[in-house]
Amino acid sequence: MGKVLAIALNTFKEAVRNKVLYFLLIFALLIMGFSTFISDLSIAAPEKLIKDLGLASIDFFGFLIAVFVGIYLIYNEIERKTIYTIVSKPIDRHQFVLGKYFGLLITIYVNMAIMSVFFFAVLYFRDATSQDKIMDLINPEVNGVRQPVENAESLYYWYHFKMFFIACGKAVVTLFGYSEPITFHLMRVIGMSALGLAIITAFAILYSTFSTPTLSAVFTFLTFVVGNLCEDLLRYAERLARNAGGLQNLSGPDVLKYWFVTIAMHITPNLALFNKRSEAIYDKWDVMAQTERFVAIDPVQVAYGLVYVGGVLCLSCLIFNRRNFK
Amino acid sequence: MIVVETNKLSKIYTHDFIDVEHGRLRFNFMRRTVALADLDLQVGKGEIVGLLGPNGAGKSTTIKILMGILFPSSGSAKLMGRPLGDKAVKAKIGFLPENPFFYDYLKGEEFLDYYGQLYGMSKADRRKRIRELFDYVGLPDHAPNLPLKGYSKGMLQRIGLAQAILNDPEVVVLDEPQSGLDPLGRKEIRDIILSLKDRGKTVFFSSHVLSDAELICDRVAILNKGRLVAQGELGHLLSSKIKDYEVIVTGMRKESVEALRPHAIKCIERDADVLFIFEKEDDVREVLRRVIDENARLVSVTPRRDTLEEYFIREVTRGPGAAETGAQGGAA
Repeated sequence: MGKVLAIALNTFKEAVRNKVLYFLLIFALLIMGFSTFISDLSIAAPEKLIKDLGLASIDFFGFLIAVFVGIYLIYNEIERKTIYTIVSKPIDRHQFVLGKYFGLLITIYVNMAIMSVFFFAVLYFRDATSQDKIMDLINPEVNGVRQPVENAESLYYWYHFKMFFIACGKAVVTLFGYSEPITFHLMRVIGMSALGLAIITAFAILYSTFSTPTLSAVFTFLTFVVGNLCEDLLRYAERLARNAGGLQNLSGPDVLKYWFVTIAMHITPNLALFNKRSEAIYDKWDVMAQTERFVAIDPVQVAYGLVYVGGVLCLSCLIFNRRNFK
Repeated sequence: MIVVETNKLSKIYTHDFIDVEHGRLRFNFMRRTVALADLDLQVGKGEIVGLLGPNGAGKSTTIKILMGILFPSSGSAKLMGRPLGDKAVKAKIGFLPENPFFYDYLKGEEFLDYYGQLYGMSKADRRKRIRELFDYVGLPDHAPNLPLKGYSKGMLQRIGLAQAILNDPEVVVLDEPQSGLDPLGRKEIRDIILSLKDRGKTVFFSSHVLSDAELICDRVAILNKGRLVAQGELGHLLSSKIKDYEVIVTGMRKESVEALRPHAIKCIERDADVLFIFEKEDDVREVLRRVIDENARLVSVTPRRDTLEEYFIREVTRGPGAAETGAQGGAA
């Protein structure tokens, strides 16, 4: 375990000293920051737009890190021949693969944590500086009548300054379970997204054990796209069968289509299971009951994700165990 | 006790069906290259054994198989009496690959600490051992805190050697340890190898420069085109005719160096050290005379014989049967 940890921490160190990571992180933070301005275009629910864009950015940039850092991790070790000195040490090859995987996962999760803190800070700050609250601050209601306060301008700026730091503080503690209505359940969504990324990262590592970085990137991207469309494609296959009046009535190319889609979808991970964004953002309110809906985390889905990660890592180790390093 | 043993060890590479060569597609139907064929080799405990041969002879392939980097196509090998890949044995072996490229984003100390963790050493042991090793391999004081990307070729070779002996191994395997180093750097590596022998270590290394190998090896094995063409003491294998002399002195006066320079094939100055390479023995006598007169210090005098390539060219051009020409094709 100590050796896996050593490799993981070295992988993390390598990623942290890689400039690509910072470009991705800065870009993600810019998008989140920019979302507050775009949200003003939304008349009905600006915070929905910020949440959707923020959560999507965290997920997508986590995916980009998995691809751009992951595909090079093992390839570079072989290409630069650093693998020679590693496999000659008293470690098993699978320990190396696991170390690389967990190192990349640490990198992705640290980045997700930074993006999440920024995202929560934006939400808290916007919430604290909403028009109503500012109005209450500079034009407080006294006996049912709004009256302007003295030095409103300096109060306005001081309030924003103070709220900035409070929002940052709240954002950090939100990572550890604190929440307010504005950030309710968002950590659950990010947690599930992190599990989905653990699967994609395992695939990035798997592809990089036998392929070039370009092909690994293509394969990982395809896995991501197909994994997210999994449920839709399965529905398509079911509809094919239904339209034909049953599976036995399928004919010609439809049979091929049905079985190809069905088999392919059972091999590909169903990444849509780990996307809880819409549940958290759009279905938050149960209109009839006037209460917030719970973003449920199904233990079966979590187990599915973990088993998938385990399976893909086993396959990666099997391939890597048999590789010759010329 | 035998610490390295190979039995009919072979490695055959099968080419990809399609590959790009010189910008053109090439189709390889069942194309194979024999990199190593039926190698039988033994290295005894405490010996310095050189695996010699020209480029592409199969030296690196042999070492890579022993280190678990490649899998043999057939045959078997044992290290310290155990089959390859045994972790307990790996913990007692140190390895330096050819032209090593290390994690250039790590500082010297971080790099050795990482490898120490892979050996399962405790933090206190790592700290103590790393401090000792920086001195032992002759790295400058600022090296521990310098990222490896700032290291020169010689410094990289030294830190590579340091990671190979970090675990105080019983067997040290070095692949072309002197490759790309200047003569003074090569001498320093030679000295380190000899000091390892003094400490009871077994050293198995590959080289294609016989002049260096013959100074330190107890025994040599010579490979050509994947096959073992000879093994034994180097003196028995090569002509005893001296090609030139390498002389290293320190503290010699500038005028003397300038006076000797026209007679030397090569003359390299580094700080107070001067390295000469002379063709004639008389020139060596002249250097010795001046060293005594000027109270300078003689570091070494090394008679140099033919290189391995010259030996092979001579053996091969002598005609069939003089040396085994080995398997078809070659790679390493």
